Amino acid sequence: MEILLRRKWIIAAGLLPALLIYTLFSVYPILSSIYFSLFKWDGFSPKQWHGLQNYVNLIGDGVFWQSIRNNLYFVLFSVLGEIPLGLYLAIMLNGKLFRRDGIFRTVFFMPVVISTIVVSLIWNMFYNYQFGLVNTALRAFGLDHWAQNWLGNPKLAIFVLCIVVVWQYTGLYMVIFLAALQNVPSEVLEAAELDGAVGFKRTWNIVVPIIADTIFASVVLCISGALRAFDLIFIMTNGGPNHSTEVGATYMFAQTFNSMKYGYGSAISTAIIIISFGLIMISQFMMRSLKR
Amino acid sequence: MVQRLLLKRPLSAHIHRLVLLLLLAVNIYPLLWMILNSLKTEQELSMNPFGVARKPMWSNYIEAWKVAKLGPYLVNSITVTLASVVLTLLVGALAAFFLSRFEFKSKGFLLVYFTFGMLIPIHATLVPLFIEMRTFNLLDNRLTLLFPYTAFNLPITIFILAGFMNAFPKEVEEAGIVDGCSVMGVFGRLIIPMLTPALATAFIINFLNNWNEFSFALVLISDSALKTLPLGLANFAGQYNRSYTLQMAGLTIVLVPTLLFYLSVQKYLTAGMTAGAVKG
Repeated sequence: MEILLRRKWIIAAGLLPALLIYTLFSVYPILSSIYFSLFKWDGFSPKQWHGLQNYVNLIGDGVFWQSIRNNLYFVLFSVLGEIPLGLYLAIMLNGKLFRRDGIFRTVFFMPVVISTIVVSLIWNMFYNYQFGLVNTALRAFGLDHWAQNWLGNPKLAIFVLCIVVVWQYTGLYMVIFLAALQNVPSEVLEAAELDGAVGFKRTWNIVVPIIADTIFASVVLCISGALRAFDLIFIMTNGGPNHSTEVGATYMFAQTFNSMKYGYGSAISTAIIIISFGLIMISQFMMRSLKR
Repeated sequence: MVQRLLLKRPLSAHIHRLVLLLLLAVNIYPLLWMILNSLKTEQELSMNPFGVARKPMWSNYIEAWKVAKLGPYLVNSITVTLASVVLTLLVGALAAFFLSRFEFKSKGFLLVYFTFGMLIPIHATLVPLFIEMRTFNLLDNRLTLLFPYTAFNLPITIFILAGFMNAFPKEVEEAGIVDGCSVMGVFGRLIIPMLTPALATAFIINFLNNWNEFSFALVLISDSALKTLPLGLANFAGQYNRSYTLQMAGLTIVLVPTLLFYLSVQKYLTAGMTAGAVKG
């Protein structure tokens, strides 16, 4: 390999296509978003320098803060719903009780592969006032007064959406944890069982520290995933009613492409990036101190 | 025998089984509910949202297929998805090869640089990407979606492929050199065949990501002749928001092939997700 190593240009040429596409269409847009956020711009006429005014407006914008709060609900529900549930399923399916039942694994991962558009439309009908399953079931149990337009209720809509998110993505974390568990030497788990740790609680207590690194990585994945939520809300409520389910991405979309405020939309984008990385860093810090 | 097993198991085991079966139902039922209702008339749906249609309305499917223009969208989706997957795997495998099998100064930086891509909030790039594409005159073009789809799938692809390659012994290259292979010869003749399992996984992940992608298509494609399935479905649902059974039929047409694809490849999928995820 020594002879080959001297020919540096081969390495450069091999990496160039990937580097070029990735930089041009993924990294560069992020940077230009920060640049655009400093202008007042409708996307067509010449840009007007606006300094930090977009950010000043953003700080005073109630809908923006509402959308960030909703984003945090998504993060909270995802991290506290998907990860423990995924871990529970993984431990169960890895244990002797269910190991041979492949169907559980197949079905639990299924929602992950379905397009979010399809998921959103199905759940829209599920929550439908007239024939939706939720209301029909409530009426069947005589709870007619509970039946309502779930996605039209500003107080409930965001939580109704959170349930769909947890439904869709729990399987992803289950599979990730299952993989991590397969790397745990089976002697460790068997020894634990011999010690009398057959109960789920004991297993949980033994397994969690062993795959702590994977759990940490999943939390990061989960946070960045929850902050990416867009398709689901765009289809199911489009931020409504009255911005009660607005998240950063939908608000950015509406401001940019409906209100033609490209500069302001870019400022929202930049805020999403900052919050996203901020949250990831905070979670990393918290988990690191937890580990000690 | 069964009885003995049942007796031997503690109560908690039965509770866990019950919980899992319940979750199984929660996962399957919404899909089943939709498929069953897709065969009803509008009237029967509101009268009897549970249960099986009295007389299956197969015509819903024919009408949904026609009204939603699923045919052209399907062709667009297949073209864009496959083209992006092939480009991503080609470019990604090459990059992963150099990142995994060679030592050079900027290697550490590049690995971090690519990993960063997995955390970028996609929607923060929508506006600038729209403007960038407009500048390149690439809006509403058959090639438009190829670039963002490739760019956003490269990090996970490189991650999976490089992770898999790291485990190959050094002797692979040495044998290649002895046989007189060039660097590209080693890559094409020795590495690629060994890489097949990881390539299969990366293929599936890429395929599903692109097949289901919505927001880039929403922003970058407005010509209805170029729209992909998710976009077409969203439009269809918006336009025919009173005819739920038609919507359900349309959704089923899209859902069933995706599920069949998943069921036939799920073994590779879960195996590879894990290869990528564990190291993350």
